[in-house]
Formats: sequence, structure tokens, C-alpha cells
Amino acid sequence: MAHKVVLEVKDLRTYFFPRSGVVKAVDGVSFDLVEGETLGVVGESASGKSVTALSILRLVPHPAGRIVGGEILLEGEDLLKKSSAEMTKIRGKKICMIQQDPMTSLNPVLSIGDQTTEAMRTEDKMEPESARQRALELLERVGISAPEARMGNYPHQMSGGMRQRVVGAIAISRRPKVLIADEPTTSLDATIQLQYLRLLKEIQAETGVSIIFITHDFGIVARMCDRVAVMYAGRIVEIADVRRLFSEPAHPYTVALLRSVPDLEQEVEFLPAIEGQPPRPENLPIGCSFEPRCPLAFDRCRVEYPPEFTVAPGHRARCWMLSGKD
Amino acid sequence: MQSPGDLLTLKNVKKHFPITKGVLVRRRIGTVKAVDGVSLGISQGQTYGLVGESGCGKTTTGKLILLVEKPNEGEILFQGVDILHSSREQLRQYRASVSVVFQDPWSSFNPRVRVQSIIAEPLMTHKRLTNMELKAEVKKLLEEVGLHPSQAEFYPHEFSGGQRQRIAIARAIALRPKLIVLDEPVSALDVSIRAQVMNLLKVIQKEYGIAYLLIAHNLATVRYMSHRVGVMYLGELVEEADSHELFTDPLHPYTKALISASLPARPDVRREELVISGEIPSPLNLPSGCAFHPRCPLAFDRCSEVVPKLKDVRLGRKVACHLY
Repeated sequence: MAHKVVLEVKDLRTYFFPRSGVVKAVDGVSFDLVEGETLGVVGESASGKSVTALSILRLVPHPAGRIVGGEILLEGEDLLKKSSAEMTKIRGKKICMIQQDPMTSLNPVLSIGDQTTEAMRTEDKMEPESARQRALELLERVGISAPEARMGNYPHQMSGGMRQRVVGAIAISRRPKVLIADEPTTSLDATIQLQYLRLLKEIQAETGVSIIFITHDFGIVARMCDRVAVMYAGRIVEIADVRRLFSEPAHPYTVALLRSVPDLEQEVEFLPAIEGQPPRPENLPIGCSFEPRCPLAFDRCRVEYPPEFTVAPGHRARCWMLSGKD
Repeated sequence: MQSPGDLLTLKNVKKHFPITKGVLVRRRIGTVKAVDGVSLGISQGQTYGLVGESGCGKTTTGKLILLVEKPNEGEILFQGVDILHSSREQLRQYRASVSVVFQDPWSSFNPRVRVQSIIAEPLMTHKRLTNMELKAEVKKLLEEVGLHPSQAEFYPHEFSGGQRQRIAIARAIALRPKLIVLDEPVSALDVSIRAQVMNLLKVIQKEYGIAYLLIAHNLATVRYMSHRVGVMYLGELVEEADSHELFTDPLHPYTKALISASLPARPDVRREELVISGEIPSPLNLPSGCAFHPRCPLAFDRCSEVVPKLKDVRLGRKVACHLY
């Protein structure tokens, strides 16, 4: 397999500046994304996974937040150096995003036909009739039956699963290089979720798009992803191939998290839970952010944030326990 | 072991909501059969898990038990007493014996009331306690759910989601109820917090012998928590069995589809994925016969004509499907 890197994020730092100080929502995140692969980003709320996505699209709420450092290279070009007009083009063409709630990403007063053809008409300067034909093809591709009739519908006339399919159709109409899916199936029912995940995989196989899949569900990670980045308190604490992450997790947080999730295959009396709460991003510990909850923490963890250690090729983790094994 | 369903029994309970149109002259244009003839029994000290997709009626069933909604038809028996036709005193006792924990720990408390008063509220309604006794009781409850007694003076916004759910549990157990309705108690919480809260619920159940009605859509959660499980689809119970049996040997095609749609938590486990096509039909316009037949891979002629009844197929196993 050709390992052509499509997207490279280097030492990304996105901070928010409320009156009370600085919130380091994303603090030194680095990863790359290879053509045609799916990278899962898992983490709890406020771990920085959604802010990472918004940073890549340069959609961090301003002036509350700002990207204060790092590089985001899309096919070698730094997105942080682009003007906002250039970014608009990139967002409509090379990077697309599917958000959690399709009701907020679709315009409630425009018909499905208007919304699916909009970018083709304005960006690609397609004739209305050919844009319509293409939109019909795409709607059929994403599994919408009777697309002709659906073109005149408004979002509220469709179910959540159907709306999310429309968002998918709009996204793939741009033939993007990178698709960011931020919990796209959280609002869907289980049977509909499985249909949608399968659809994404099929589209990926057809178009070779790279997907960044943001989720908190390890089931989705196991089903969808090639590699996984685990985020905790604004940093990637572990990144590895999906099978390796599940079979040989190196970071105590990943280990504990995987153990605390109930498994449908097994019956257990008590799950080993992670004690304590995730730290508040405005009030992080000086040392490792996981140290207050970590069963293996020792002195060094309290005073110094661990750098990234290589566990195996392609498998890196930030934990002082690994310092001798490097 | 007690006889099954000895604590609370629902008998053929129905809740239909009218859909009306018009402002001055309201015309009835349809009915949503949110719960359509559900019968189930909850045993003392055990967890009954109710699963299904959105709109299947699991939350409405919970509301019927909590008497938030009044059923159109059917009976609710609590320890043998018909709750829908009982005296004021019996009803008061029932309300003290059944409590609830909601899904969203952000919207289930009054943000301007301190934790002390939130937890003390049921105690003030149902018991005559002095202020000192109330305070002592709240402190004890906070400790039981793993919070610090001094946190009684805080407001809800000062807590994280997991801690708020602990407060909700403290309020729910304040009167030592016999049954708690848990409506998606962990789905709004972070993954690392869910196990804490589920374990706390299990410990409390063991200690006080409280029964739970667990309403949830996550099957792994239901399996972890429940002794008995009911599967709902469009207002009806389609399958009921002991947790172990239901998950290892599902009978109804819908149960099978639900299980196969819930993704295994490991990449090396590949379940056979039974993808059912189509969407859940609108509850306003239900299909004829078995409500699941338009999506069922095994449907045959009879399924579109006759509604299958929930019947015993083996000891302790009920299923509503023409295949059995």
C-alpha cells in the first residue's frame, strides 16, 4: 500500500482565553493521516478531540479561541498560512465535515435539492440540470429511496438517519481528500448506525478518501478505524494501529478505559472502573494530566509531563512508565 | 428466590396519544400507540432491562410506572395492589416506594437549589424530620453515593456529570424505595465515568434490595446491569428472557438484528452483521400484522396479516413472532 500522507498535524496548539485565564484545549497534538485510511480519535468530553477537528478546518470560535501554534499541512501546504478566502475554498473542496447532529448542519428553510446542489452550482459552476442529475445520483448512492421525491423535501420531513445521509451526500459531492466525521452516528439508533457506518466504509473504498473519525465509542473504533489516537486533556496520550491498541495498550489511561467498558460478549459481576474525574482543562495538574487517577503513578509523574515514547513502530505513548523501554 | 414479577406487574398496559389538528375546532387525525398492550413483571431486588430504539415506547412505559402518564387501558399492580384504582394512602405509599433517575444530569435539577435541598426534598414530602435529622440524613446519603458530606452546600453546577448523577441517585434512594426507574442513567456520561456509576447502582441494589427498571439502548450496559430483559419495538414487547439467555440465544429477528448492530468492543471479534434495511416506521402509521415485518429478513405471508402475540416458548422465555 502506498503510504502517501495527505494531512499532517504538527504540534497543534489551540487555546481559549476566557476572562479567568487560559484553557489549553489542544496542547501539542501531532499526527498524520495517510491516503485512504481511517484514523479514530477517541477521548472524553473536553479532551480536545472536537477542537482538533475545528482547528483543522480553521473554524475555532473566534475571538474566544485561537490557534496559537503548530502546523497543519494538507498535501504539504500549511493551512494556518492560508487567507480566509482560500480556506473557504478548501473547506468546500478538500476537507469536509460530518457533524453529530444533522439538524444543525442542514438549513431548515432550504429544500434537500437546493442544499445538495448548492456547492456544485456555486463552486463548480455546474448547470442547474446537471447539478440536479449528479445530486440525484449521490442521494441514491447514500441509500435514499425515491431521491426525485426527496429533492423537494425539507430537513424536518426526514428522519435523523436520512438527514445524516443527505449530509454524507453533500460531503462526497465535493470529492474531498479528508473527511472529518465528528460523532456522526451518536444521534442515530443502533440499526441505523450500522447502516451508516457501512455506507461510510463503502464510500471510502470507492473514493479513497481519508477519514478522521471522532468518537467515544470503542465499538465504532474497532469496526471502522485503521489507527487510533487516544486523547486526554488536550493531548494525544497514545497512538497505535487499531489491533495493537486493543491487544497491547501501553498508556494506563487506555488500559483502564478499555477495561471499564462493558462487553456484550461477557458477563462480569463488577467492571474495574477508573476512579476520579477527568481534570478540568482550565486547571490541569503540573505533571501528567492522568496522574491523579493513575494507579501506577510515581514521583516523576507529579512534576513533569511525559514526552512521547515509541513503544513499537507506529505505536507511541506519553507515559513515564515507558521511559526505560525506549 | 421470589416468584418472577412479584414486585410490580404491568398487565396489558396501553398508552395512546391522540394527534389533533386545528386551533379552534380540534379534530383527531390519528393516534400514536406509544405503548400498546405491554405486560411485564419486575422482581424484588432485581434489574429489569428494557431495550429498544427511539420511539419504541420504553420511556413511556417508565412514565406509566411513575404515574406521570395515565394508561388508557390495563393494570399496574404493585405488590398485588392495583395502583390505578387505589386509595390516596396507598398511592402515597406507592409514590414513596418508586423513584427515578433521569438521563440528563444537567436538566434534572433546579440550578438555584443547593444539593442539601435537592436530596432532602423527598424526605420532607414523605417523612416528618427535624432540620437536624434532615441534614444528618442528607450527609449519610451523600457518603453512600461516594460524595463528601460538605458538598451538601454546593449548587448543581459545581459538579461534573458523574457527580450529578450520584446526587440524583442519592435523591432516588432517600426514601429507601423498592423500585427505581433508571431512564438511560449513564448514556450522557463520559466513558470513564459510566462504569463508576453502574457499579454504584449495583452496590446499592445489593445493599438495599432495590429493584431497577433500566431503560437503555446500549445493549452492553443492559447486559451488565440486568437480570431480566425485555425488547420493545413500536410500543410492543417482542421478546422477554433472562439476560444471559437473551444475549446468548436471541429468538426474535429484531433482537438478533439489535445484537448484531451493537458493535463488538474489540477489533478481533467479528460478529455476523445482520443488517436490517429500512427505517423504523412512523408510529402514526403502523404496518399491518407484525410491526417489524417490513424490515424483517425472515418475514413470510402471515407476518403482514396477523399480529403475533407474545407467548411462552420455553420456561421463562417469551417471544412475539410467527416463527415460534
